[in-house]
Amino acid sequence: MEQYLTQPLSLQTFIIFFASAVALLLLVLGFVTYAIYFERKVIGWMQARIGPNRVGPLGLLQTVADVLKLLLKEDTIPKKADKPLFLIAPIIAFVPSFAVLAVIPFTDKLHFADLGVGLLYYLAISSISTIGVLVGGWASNNKYALIGGMRSAAQMISYEIPLVMSVIGVILITGSLNLIDIVERQREIGMWFIIPQFLGFIIFLIASISELNRTPFDLPEAESELVAGYHVEYSGFRFAFYMLAEYVYVFAMSALTTVLFLGGWLPPFEFLSFIPGIVWFILKFSAVVFFLFWVRATMPRIRVDQLMSLGWKVLLPLALVNIFITAVVKEFIA
Amino acid sequence: MSGEFIAFFILSLFTIGGAVFMISFTRVVHMVVSLAFTFLSIAGLYVLLEAEFVAVTQVIVYAGAVAIMMLFGIMLTPHREQEEDAGRAQKVVAFIAVAAFFLIAFFIIQGTTWDPSVHHFTEDNTTMIGKTIFTQYVIPFELVSVLLLVALVGAIILAKREENDSE
Repeated sequence: MEQYLTQPLSLQTFIIFFASAVALLLLVLGFVTYAIYFERKVIGWMQARIGPNRVGPLGLLQTVADVLKLLLKEDTIPKKADKPLFLIAPIIAFVPSFAVLAVIPFTDKLHFADLGVGLLYYLAISSISTIGVLVGGWASNNKYALIGGMRSAAQMISYEIPLVMSVIGVILITGSLNLIDIVERQREIGMWFIIPQFLGFIIFLIASISELNRTPFDLPEAESELVAGYHVEYSGFRFAFYMLAEYVYVFAMSALTTVLFLGGWLPPFEFLSFIPGIVWFILKFSAVVFFLFWVRATMPRIRVDQLMSLGWKVLLPLALVNIFITAVVKEFIA
Repeated sequence: MSGEFIAFFILSLFTIGGAVFMISFTRVVHMVVSLAFTFLSIAGLYVLLEAEFVAVTQVIVYAGAVAIMMLFGIMLTPHREQEEDAGRAQKVVAFIAVAAFFLIAFFIIQGTTWDPSVHHFTEDNTTMIGKTIFTQYVIPFELVSVLLLVALVGAIILAKREENDSE
């Protein structure tokens, strides 16, 4: 990719950019299709059920059928809804989720933008999705949607702070915000950041599950209290857009966890380095995705009054302690 | 025509368009959303100027935090659907003020002599910003932090007092 990024823009390079972006989009759509299938299968097995097994061999076409159903459904718009905002809100939520993928390095050769502020870019762009959720909840003109949107925005803002704070340890050790430099640094010190930054990793994991609005932090769409939360009035392909944004963020967040704490494309031992880096990346990435599904099948939902105190009174002080310890160690020992 | 020029054209169109729509919309939530578009396009202009760190900060602070805070504030407070029309005298005064501001800004921009040489900051400008802030400008930086902290504590005290009054 690298040689194309430095060339001046011509029709040929434009076509290459466009084709690679489309290829990534198709890859992500494929991931989302089978992530949903595996989520249902894994949760089914954990709860001693079978899971989807009717459509296609082993139920492999179940998600395809579901998506087809969503696309054929009528795109209903409530009469009292704020029509223009109701129509663009799913797009505002989805576009940032795809835009953040631009900075994720899959291997040292296979990456899109090599941005100096890659990590900050991810955190900044992902905060725009909150506007889409909030506006969608408000424009629906429905009390459940409004409460869901408010909860979602409050939760995403509160947990963004421990999320950013927990990666400062990694940035301190690396001395760069570039995601490729972060992986290279893990090669230099000979271990993945999960070992020297274990506290940071735990905080990052909890805060990222909360940012993804997944169980045990799925309060914005708590079925038993809010029917479905901010997307209760949506149907058809606009609802599909919200779901797609959610799963693309699962993809992006798992890839980011892999890069930051699990060494990206690096092999676990030096003698295993004959296996290409992309295989290691996919293995670690799949393990993180599986962990998210596992947590969802295991944990009950956190109570709404405990949510804020967990973020502000537990995770944030712990993240500050982590920064302090990392700075002291870097200054006096390393 | 380079890609930079096309990007500049599109981004400035979005910046100005967002600002114009912000003024002409009648519902407050629409205004905030179009303002968020302006903030994002300005971040894009910063990227074109090779100021990546400023661009990302612009997105985090303005498009992320400020726009969401404004949306929150508007949604949680009652407001009328339509603002009542301003009187004739007010319109005239507003027009004179805007015209005066435009003339002043226009002549200042025209009168400034710009440094024609082009600077390139591609090499590690984030590191350079960090080093400058924490060595040369460390005291102003700390003072600004204290100012923000005081504002934060003040906001909490104001909110607490209102809570006590209602009891």
